[in-house]
Amino acid sequence: MLLRRSLNGAAISAPARPVAIDRCRTYGSELLPTLESLFDRIGGLGHLVKGKTVGVKLNLNLGPTNRQGHYPLGESHWPHPRLIAAMMHCMAKAGVHRIRLLESAWALRADPLEETLIEANWDLQLFVGAAARVDFENTNFLGSGTTYSRFPVSGGGLLFPAYDLNHSYQDCDVFVSIAKLKDHSTTGISLCMKNLFGMTPVTIYGSGAGVDEPSAIPSGWRVPILHNGERQPPKSSPPEIDPKSPRDDGYRVPRAVADLCAARPVHLSILDGISTMAGGQNPGMFGVEVVKPGFLAVGANVVNTAAVGMALMKYDPMADRGTAPFETCDNKLKLAEECGVGTRDLRRIETIGPPIQELAFDFRTLRAKREIRRKALQARLRIGERA
Amino acid sequence: MMPSWADCVPMRWPSGPLEIARREKGKDFSPQTRDTLQRWHDPASLDLLKGTRINCLLLSWAAGLPQDAEQQRTLAPLMECGRQAGLFFVAWIDGAPDKAAAIASARAAGCAAAAVEAYEGRTDLPLIAWGTRSKAPWDSAAPVIAVSENVWPCIARGAAGFRDTTAGATGMPWVDSNGWFLQMARARMRAENIWLLYDPLGGNTIEISESYRIAVADCLAYGGRWVIALDDRLRSGMVSKDPSATETWESIAGAVEFFEEHKDWRRYRPEGVVGVLSDFSGHNEDLSQEFLNLLFRRMLPYRVLDKSRVSNVAFDGLKEIVYLDEDALDDDLRQKTLAFVRNGGVLLAGSNWKSEGPVIPDAANPRFEVHRVGKGRLAVSKEEAIDPYLVAADAHLLLSHANDLVRFYNAGASTALYTTLPEGGRSLLQLVDYTTARKSGNEITVWLRRPYRSARLWQMGADSPLVLKKAPEVNGMEFYLPPIKSFAGLELE
Repeated sequence: MLLRRSLNGAAISAPARPVAIDRCRTYGSELLPTLESLFDRIGGLGHLVKGKTVGVKLNLNLGPTNRQGHYPLGESHWPHPRLIAAMMHCMAKAGVHRIRLLESAWALRADPLEETLIEANWDLQLFVGAAARVDFENTNFLGSGTTYSRFPVSGGGLLFPAYDLNHSYQDCDVFVSIAKLKDHSTTGISLCMKNLFGMTPVTIYGSGAGVDEPSAIPSGWRVPILHNGERQPPKSSPPEIDPKSPRDDGYRVPRAVADLCAARPVHLSILDGISTMAGGQNPGMFGVEVVKPGFLAVGANVVNTAAVGMALMKYDPMADRGTAPFETCDNKLKLAEECGVGTRDLRRIETIGPPIQELAFDFRTLRAKREIRRKALQARLRIGERA
Repeated sequence: MMPSWADCVPMRWPSGPLEIARREKGKDFSPQTRDTLQRWHDPASLDLLKGTRINCLLLSWAAGLPQDAEQQRTLAPLMECGRQAGLFFVAWIDGAPDKAAAIASARAAGCAAAAVEAYEGRTDLPLIAWGTRSKAPWDSAAPVIAVSENVWPCIARGAAGFRDTTAGATGMPWVDSNGWFLQMARARMRAENIWLLYDPLGGNTIEISESYRIAVADCLAYGGRWVIALDDRLRSGMVSKDPSATETWESIAGAVEFFEEHKDWRRYRPEGVVGVLSDFSGHNEDLSQEFLNLLFRRMLPYRVLDKSRVSNVAFDGLKEIVYLDEDALDDDLRQKTLAFVRNGGVLLAGSNWKSEGPVIPDAANPRFEVHRVGKGRLAVSKEEAIDPYLVAADAHLLLSHANDLVRFYNAGASTALYTTLPEGGRSLLQLVDYTTARKSGNEITVWLRRPYRSARLWQMGADSPLVLKKAPEVNGMEFYLPPIKSFAGLELE
């Protein structure tokens, strides 16, 4: 894709597609009609999914037995199972051929994704019954495939020139990212873009990856390769573009996310803001709390949808590093925009539904209050250490 | 009158010249230790037991040392005082004494029993057979067996102590627990009662009251008796009436009291849809026992099936049997096991098991080849060398979480035992939390498949149970537990 850049380097021709937003306070009876209406407002699903195989990246971070307090996973940091099922139902009505639910499940072994979902207390029948053909794949390793699929980053890439992923990300005609709206300790926020970071198999991008080849069984975490750049992926996969680039995860992870958004285009993004978490991406993190913003957002462009999602969190998608929520990291929306994936400029994105201000939930103020508490705690700890 | 052996609450009572002789060559021996051992030899030290449930003291009696005779002679005042207070005594005989003579002297001194290892002579004094884990007297007809070489239950600590916790293969902190061993012991022993011996870690480690409460719970929750053993610092503090030591001791006594008040819990029997079949000994000992340990750490309820005792035991209620022993099963047991599979069960077997039935191609597993046998599945290991961690996970996976009876969320460094009354109706879920941090614990959620009407949560130190609300969930129900400290017992009805 050709990019026109302004003098300050910002992409000004990145795609802008409508994003539909609306109030939805529960996962009960209002959920399905609201979602159907949102899909209609962006042009309906028929043209997108009819007769097609749809891959859905689920955003299931951390293990299935880690909860924020007693909250079921779908009310805190995983998309709610009823939202996923409602989405599948809408796709079935629109004539989808097959739906593949995908996640690099947090597991030290090659467990089928279904086992992770059952362990989370999710009812598989909810999904299996929602469409005619439904598959599940744990994409943290080869899964049911025989080789990994290579995804070159259009434009050459910011961190890696290409990523090797489970075949399921290639074996789909339409790709969907369904995610919670959350704060994130490394990238400021975690929405439909950051969800794609979880596509990377730890057999290649995890600490347990082989030196020459991917490991057979997933083990370890992504910190040494993707976050800190302490080591390279196996020789069988492309090494990073510039091994001398900063080893700071606030620099690296946003670039990896932007790369992945460019390498594996997303056709449909869905943001679950009905019930979610503020303060971090994982349960148990300092200051994390379950919040009930009570809205949904749907868009055809992953960056556009993330930008509207940020606005719904009362963050500015145009913010630069050093400004909330990007205090210690680069703005991945900006990076993706510069790669031509989509614009983050709200002036260019048509938002269909109630005004953003009417729906927005104030993650920003919660963030500021949490930061005050964190600093006070650190001060107390320092005093304690001196004493 | 002596209580039944089931009601004995034993405590090690190290004191006197024999203990001093044994300990004084050690590098940790100090004048303070000597003083403590002397003061615990004094009948006045028994005042420490007033108001507690402890009713049985294990006295250092004979070790084949010159001090044996003096020890036995000088214990007389303490024993006399103890008898008047309703205590009874077990003579602890170890080392290389003349066992027959030591037993005779214990009888003459009025001991209720003697604990002795591998004694085959005759005596009319009740004997408590004891041995190490690998030489545990499973076949002893004694009323009690005692087993040594157990672990001090705790989150595994590295050389740097508490802050250097060791991550286990599961990614969670590794927990040292005797729970799995007790579950195995209860399936293997002829005796009705089992006492476990384990001591505080010693060295520079200071055991706080929470550590001791865990030590009590780790044994009593899993059906054993801990022979209470205190560290030197605590025993010294107790006789000096140090407030901190007194508080710790009261906490230990409170924990013991708690379990005595719930002794009806001993009637409950383990639940589980996985049966682990083995002889658990000889060349199978390491693998089979580590497998139990790791299954236990996964909090997957299981039943122990001792190969030598299982011929008359039905596999009722089981959905999976794991048999990893090198030896082939005898024909009857093999047929019985295969019948279980044909009726829809899963058998996970070592590589020596002769494969049968067609391979199920979709049931791919890196370590097992899965065959269809009747209505069930036979999974045969592809590898001779079995990694018990991976196979424990495989056992859960091949069974599928869809067959879970219970699931835990945010359980962290906990272990659990799910039991039911033999006549049915009521269940009990016991959780031991090995976290010693004094701040509040995790918010644990428990999911249960069975539709219980009510749940009452007992915690140590609480006068009454907390009635929990149930939350209907997929294929079962959830109970939201408040933060627990050391132990929680969930009575389900």
